[in-house]
Amino acid sequence: MREEQVQNAVKFLSHPKVKGSPVMYRRSFLERKGLTKEEIDEAFRRIPDPPQNVSNAQPAGTNQVVTDGQVQPLSNVQPQVPTQILQPSAAAPAGVISTLTRSRFHWSHALLAKSVVPRLKSWIRKVVFEEEEGSAKKTDSKPSLQQEAAAAAKTAAAAAADVARASQEMLLSKREEEKYFKELMNLIGMQVQEMKSMSNAIQKLEGNTHGRTHLTEQDHRVSAKSLRQPNANGNVDFDSYSARSSPPPATVEPSAAPHPKSYMEIMAMVQRGEKPPNIREINDLPPNPNQPLPNPHSAPRAKPWEVGQTQTSYSQVLQSHESTYGLNTNLQDNGFVNQLNGDSSVPWWQKKNVRITEIENEDELKRGSSGVLTNERPVQRSWVPPQPPPVAMPEAAAAIRQPKKTLSEKQVADDQLVADPSNAIDELQRITKISESGGVVDANGGSSGLSKRFSESGVVDTNSMSSGLYTSEIQEEQEAY
Amino acid sequence: MPVFKTPFNGYAVKFSPFYEHRLAVATAQNFGILGNGRVHVLDLSPAGPISEFAAFDTADAVYDLSWSESHDSLLVAAVADGSVKLYDLSLPPPSNPVRSLHEHTREAHSADYNPVRRDSFITGSWDDTIKLWTIDRPTSVRTFKEHAYCVYSATWNPRHADVFASASGDCTVRIWDVREPGSTMILPAHEFEILSCDWNKYDDCVIATASVDKSIKVWDVRSFRVPLAVLNGHSYAVRKVKFSPHRGSFIASCSYDMTVCLWDYMVEDALIGRYDHHTEFAVGVDMSVLVEGLLASTGWDELVYVWQHGTDPRAP
Repeated sequence: MREEQVQNAVKFLSHPKVKGSPVMYRRSFLERKGLTKEEIDEAFRRIPDPPQNVSNAQPAGTNQVVTDGQVQPLSNVQPQVPTQILQPSAAAPAGVISTLTRSRFHWSHALLAKSVVPRLKSWIRKVVFEEEEGSAKKTDSKPSLQQEAAAAAKTAAAAAADVARASQEMLLSKREEEKYFKELMNLIGMQVQEMKSMSNAIQKLEGNTHGRTHLTEQDHRVSAKSLRQPNANGNVDFDSYSARSSPPPATVEPSAAPHPKSYMEIMAMVQRGEKPPNIREINDLPPNPNQPLPNPHSAPRAKPWEVGQTQTSYSQVLQSHESTYGLNTNLQDNGFVNQLNGDSSVPWWQKKNVRITEIENEDELKRGSSGVLTNERPVQRSWVPPQPPPVAMPEAAAAIRQPKKTLSEKQVADDQLVADPSNAIDELQRITKISESGGVVDANGGSSGLSKRFSESGVVDTNSMSSGLYTSEIQEEQEAY
Repeated sequence: MPVFKTPFNGYAVKFSPFYEHRLAVATAQNFGILGNGRVHVLDLSPAGPISEFAAFDTADAVYDLSWSESHDSLLVAAVADGSVKLYDLSLPPPSNPVRSLHEHTREAHSADYNPVRRDSFITGSWDDTIKLWTIDRPTSVRTFKEHAYCVYSATWNPRHADVFASASGDCTVRIWDVREPGSTMILPAHEFEILSCDWNKYDDCVIATASVDKSIKVWDVRSFRVPLAVLNGHSYAVRKVKFSPHRGSFIASCSYDMTVCLWDYMVEDALIGRYDHHTEFAVGVDMSVLVEGLLASTGWDELVYVWQHGTDPRAP
């Protein structure tokens, strides 16, 4: 016998909850825990508890019941009943069973209701019979025992009937609950249906307008499954409203990007089904779908990341390209320059970190372009800032400074301009634009000298022909200086 | 720095790969909700002002465009009615467009020309598909249909001729190889819609994604569980990202917070430039391939700005 086990069992049995449970439960629990019968008995002995006596006296009756293979609750009831019956007091069984009924309804009780009554009756008959046969246990007269047994049986039956009634009530209440639940589900289902139909109606309305919107809510992904339109969740700002087709990007809730006011107005119009007034009917189909595609005018240019050179060398290429403008006769033909339409000048966008305050000449140029064709020197050198710009990128600034230094050293390179046809063309174009905006150059003057000049310079293009007039004018003027 | 005012709201801007002074702008009337569209081809002049070389009207909004890499005068436009239009600048406007390819069933939202093979282009659409086209064929070569929601952007890999990436409203980026039947990789890059993606021109496995969640994430596609960098700083959805063609770690981005930002994702403090010149959503941004540091942006305020990084776009 293991003391530790016994002590554990004692602790278990001392627990108030355990004390309220039927003895057979306690026994079987301990058996399950691996205690031997001795240990269990010892534990029981140590607990000062009435049921202990009962359990001790039970063996004969309980064994019989247990070996019937009853459901646990059955054996629960029966041991107590017979022991009580065996004892003189007839009130006990009723008390026991009534406690049973008073306790919380348990499924076991329902089972009891079904199986207890007949079993009980048969068992009682058996016991009574046995009692009649074996006479050793009680000193009472048999008839009184029988009477008691009968009385006990009656009370037992009454109690069982109570149990049955109680369980029936329970079943009823369950059914009622079910009913309520079903009703609730129906109501919810109806609401869902209503909402669905509402959203469908709204979407149909939207579908009549041919527009699309920008969403600010993120949940159009959900609605994508239905019609790929966002849910109209009734926001005042209409941002969540959608038109026919799927919206483009949304912003994250809650910080939806504020849309422009006119955007809201247009959204509102579209929602109402109105078409904004400024839309034209445009036929944008190709007039000749079989239009042959052009031949490429120039070769594709290598990408900076494809070039085998490093990055710095690329920028060097760029700088040398800059330096060719209007300066050197030896054009570095790095493929950037010789394009009819291309720009080999050093435009403002190739300068890095140029601050506007330094480009005074450009301002002059702009003023000049509005009316008078002012002195051409600034025109040609207008993109050269008088002072070097403040340095944010030193190496770039240094690189930029170099070509401009050389430029400022040289005089106006107009003769080189002419000598270099492509540069001339660009210059011509630019000047053409200036003069078109109101220059005072007289196109008629010097035309006789022009053709000679043109044939000398070899400029053939008709475009530059007309603007060549201006060049010659400029040159004449400059020569006059 | 010059500004160009477009009559409609700007949607995209792209520099020409052939001419440094040329760029194209996609615009849409009424913010792209409902109305016509127009493609502008603009020329920068050395003197300053931007002039319009050509303009083409479309029946519906133009959401994106891409210059041909093979023909200096060809331009592809993605139109909101689902069509893809091809314009030839060597022809006068009445002869344009030269092609109208109508296969997408929803709005065509992006167009990108292959910079390596130079013979094909891809278009991404709100019909969840990406289509591959060549300019000589009237129908698409292939359709890539795997995304579960709108494809907002599709971009070619700058080094691998057959690889491209697509960003979608289903919160994933997919990498595709034209030679493969399906996507080769899926990046669940964000928790929200991904509006744009672009490849690093100097590291062919690095890709940047821009999302509604206001962040830009830079990924190495080989290990896409954790991003290389997360760039926070925009206060609203980031609409477009573009890797610099000149500096491997520079990224330009534009956002609904009306700013254009420049980032260096290799650096701790990644934000290296912020331009708030727009007064409405900044929707398109581009960095010139031919001129280092040249940026262009457009937005719903109907303005197109071109400026050098480090300068003030609004300076006259």
